[in-house]
Amino acid sequence: MSQYAMVIDLDRCVGCHACAVACRAEWNVPTEEGYRRNWLKRIGPENTPHGLSYTFYPGLCNHCDQPVCVDVCPVEPEERLFKSFKDGSSKKMAIKATYKEPFTGIVLIDKGRCEGCGACVEACPYKARYLDETLDDPKADKCTFCFERISRGEQPACVKTCIGDARIFGDLNDPASQVAKLVKAGGARRMESKVVKIGPNVYWKGKEKDIFALFKNFAPMTKTWE
Amino acid sequence: MKRRDFLKFSASTTLALAALGAGEEEGFFMAARSLADGKGAEPMPAGSLGAKEVTSVCEMCFWRCPIVGKVKNGRLIKIEGNPNSPANGARVCARGNSGVQLLYDPDRLKYPLKRMGKRGEGKWAKISWDEALDEIAFNMEKVKKKYGPHALAYFDHGSSAEFMREIFKTLGTENYSSEPAFFQCVGPVIAAYLNSMGYVVSGTRQYIDMANAKAILLVGSHIGENVHVSHVREFVAGLQNGAKLVVVDPRFSVAANKADIYLPIRPGTDIALLMAWVNYVIQHGLYDKKFVEKNCIGFEDVRNAVKDYTLEWAARICDLNVNDIKAAIRILAVESPHVAIHPGRHSTWYGKGDVERHHALAILASLFGAVGRKGGIYFPTPVKKAHAHCIRRKEKEDMEEPDESLRDKFPFVDPFPGVPTDRIIDATLTGRPYPIRLWGINGINIIQTISNPYKTMEAIKKLDFIFSEEILPGETAIWSDIVLPEATYLERYDALYAYDGLTPYLTVRQPVVEPLFDVKTPYWIARELARRLKLKCLSCKDEKEFIEEELKELGLSLEKLNSKGGIIVHKANPYRDADKLKMPTESGKILLSIEDFEDEGLDPVPQFRPTPAPPKGYARLLYGRAPVHTFSRTMNNLWLQHEWPENHAWINDEVAKRIGVRDGDEIALENQDGRRSNPVKAKVTPGIRPDCIYLPHGFGVRSKHLTKTYGKGASDNFLITHCITDPFMGSSGKRTNFVRVIKGKKTLDIPELRPIPEELPRFKLNRA
Ligand code: SF4
Ligand code: SF4
Ligand code: SF4
Repeated sequence: MSQYAMVIDLDRCVGCHACAVACRAEWNVPTEEGYRRNWLKRIGPENTPHGLSYTFYPGLCNHCDQPVCVDVCPVEPEERLFKSFKDGSSKKMAIKATYKEPFTGIVLIDKGRCEGCGACVEACPYKARYLDETLDDPKADKCTFCFERISRGEQPACVKTCIGDARIFGDLNDPASQVAKLVKAGGARRMESKVVKIGPNVYWKGKEKDIFALFKNFAPMTKTWE
Repeated sequence: MKRRDFLKFSASTTLALAALGAGEEEGFFMAARSLADGKGAEPMPAGSLGAKEVTSVCEMCFWRCPIVGKVKNGRLIKIEGNPNSPANGARVCARGNSGVQLLYDPDRLKYPLKRMGKRGEGKWAKISWDEALDEIAFNMEKVKKKYGPHALAYFDHGSSAEFMREIFKTLGTENYSSEPAFFQCVGPVIAAYLNSMGYVVSGTRQYIDMANAKAILLVGSHIGENVHVSHVREFVAGLQNGAKLVVVDPRFSVAANKADIYLPIRPGTDIALLMAWVNYVIQHGLYDKKFVEKNCIGFEDVRNAVKDYTLEWAARICDLNVNDIKAAIRILAVESPHVAIHPGRHSTWYGKGDVERHHALAILASLFGAVGRKGGIYFPTPVKKAHAHCIRRKEKEDMEEPDESLRDKFPFVDPFPGVPTDRIIDATLTGRPYPIRLWGINGINIIQTISNPYKTMEAIKKLDFIFSEEILPGETAIWSDIVLPEATYLERYDALYAYDGLTPYLTVRQPVVEPLFDVKTPYWIARELARRLKLKCLSCKDEKEFIEEELKELGLSLEKLNSKGGIIVHKANPYRDADKLKMPTESGKILLSIEDFEDEGLDPVPQFRPTPAPPKGYARLLYGRAPVHTFSRTMNNLWLQHEWPENHAWINDEVAKRIGVRDGDEIALENQDGRRSNPVKAKVTPGIRPDCIYLPHGFGVRSKHLTKTYGKGASDNFLITHCITDPFMGSSGKRTNFVRVIKGKKTLDIPELRPIPEELPRFKLNRA
């Protein structure tokens, strides 16, 4: 069992937006307001208790351990047989129209069964999803950690283009991976709050002032799924 | 992901494909296919995987990163960096990624156009290529015959402009290359380093080894907002390796956020700080005596010239904390010689003092012995290139000089081609010292780039003829009589490109897709024009012919280059033994004091000559880059404009509070000449000095034909109406403009929160 994860190193990020654009290109994401799988938001310059900060929120879906987006999906679960792209082993699991893939921990959408109700879009405290209404049949959409690419040994598009090598991707459950090391000993942190603790698998690292500014502006403070 | 993970992955790729592709038949759920589209019917793989790949070279900016175009069903769907490139690898910046949307921009010029309405109105009729080129040729001949060759002027930038330059050159005008990139941007830094170190340490490229530096100094360079992939990577790598960073900038930039010491300097006082540092370094024996003795000329002159510049004095002039500036110079000194004293790049700031500022940086680097050594200024590695003889570059020497050259007043414009843009515009307006009656423009939006666009537009009205070669119908197009639609860099061959930085390589631009619409390549256009003018240049049939000729001389061919991944990597030779430095100057040494400057009545060693401070009620207008845009030319790009649709005016929070402006308020700016900007939103932040207002450059597009960006944000250039001309090479200093804020119907004076020392003169308003 793997849990894919990303560490974003704000010290390496220069806020160039390459990641956000590469993602849009890779998945042909429409440019309607608020449509994105991956984004770059600028924060500041603003004062923090640790000094002036001008930093960024290069964001994406967190592929959470307890994905509340999945919880709220109203589509009746159906059983599916999954296969690991690493070792070929297989596993049965009943899934709704959005689900946490059993071998990778990646949260995906079964577009074939998504009814476009938008419940998951509303529920995500990180606003990681959008409802694609450019389709005849609207569907929810979001970051997939580039499942198609990583299952073929490619990096996610945003990671591949990152000009500062600020996005580090890998399997958290593999102790030899760089993400595992950064999470274990490199000070990479989850962006959570007292109220919202759903186990995001994107981790943040950087100067104290920048992490402070990022969390202050973007750590979710309210339950959006109840 | 680690390399090892990859290998593990690759080994299981076949398995993976089986699991994903054929899975469902075997009863497995196609986890990934469900992502492809709403219908789940798209054949795998989705995204850019499985696309046909063509290697080429980016031209979303002039840095020209090697790229791969990914084509599916004849359509370019994605651009990535060329993984074989030692400079950027598979990475491209936001603009590089967005080349797709330049190619497919529905606003693109699709066929030649002839102006129908008044100049500037943007009313056109479609014409044929023959008509367009005939008319241009006719007018060029006519103007040349009536007024002489110098009545023709060419404004050029980038790779598209190169071939047509040969035409203007061959016709014999001295105005064959009036590059705003030089005269409105990098001219001063080039002149400073060329005259002190003998080569262009910073021009298009910056030969500064940040990746291996132990300390880095940036004066006004906002790397990260100014994005050139390998340059940014070297900066980030240096910091990751533990380099200390000192940033001098009136605005808290992306780089400033990463700094160990940030110095929010009063604009226009950089030389005071630099010369005080030089003095401090000399007084405290912090310089590399052996290096200076062996490799530098003019040390005593420098010592004498700076002896009165103390840190305390500089702190007062520069409005900085003396302890901070002392700590900063000590950091740099401790790490010398492995210090990257960044030479800077865009340097047309104040007109007077621009060359001196960069000369001062060159002196500081030299005192630290940070030249030719790891972490310092390094030497380019020449990458062998050939020149196809069929392009026949006519030598400048053949040209008949005008009685009074527009270059005359500027002793250090040599060895560069062309004429200061500002002088061309003046000559066009006045007819003195000789008339200029025809402009050709290629690869540059002169209205948003050359300062004082009002004057530029007046000059255009005086011309007999003006034509431009363009991709998009921007402001320059709407002022042109004939507009030639050009193939983008993704639709054409161009030339061989050599990179001579830390990771040298040779690569070539080649078409990723066939040209769309009725557009033509710059070579085709120039060749057809040359033929009509009966000029003996550009005789090759097409780009491929001369590229093959050049490659052949190097023992290569396009096929061979492509079989090597489209790029040939060379070994770098950036460092020198400090005992055998041999600078490419006449003496082989670094000139700390430049006699040639003195001979022309200019300072051989930089002296602090203050630029006027803002008049009461005004703040200095600063400008810079938005990381997702290149100058003013990417604003209409669908993806980029989605990332950054408009600019914001940065205003100091304390000032904003006093004048009642809140973050996000819609305001306008009015400059010292009463020129008003388009509406723009205020960004209220402690990250800018109270005596400055900052606008990211390139917004406020005024051509309605650029439908996605028209009217969004405010143009800094339309507020830059007062320039000071640099006496060395005639560039236009731009940070000599001042603004106040208009909110609703009220004009709001900027309170003076940082008192101005007596030594600094004030700018005198021209108005009552
Ligand atoms: S970030 Fe949002 S969409 Fe992604 S898994 Fe967590 S709750 Fe779901
Ligand atoms: S590509 Fe990398 S450096 Fe650029 S904004 Fe994204 S995370 Fe930051
Ligand atoms: S820096 Fe960006 S825009 Fe410039 S050449 Fe490289 S990828 Fe293209």
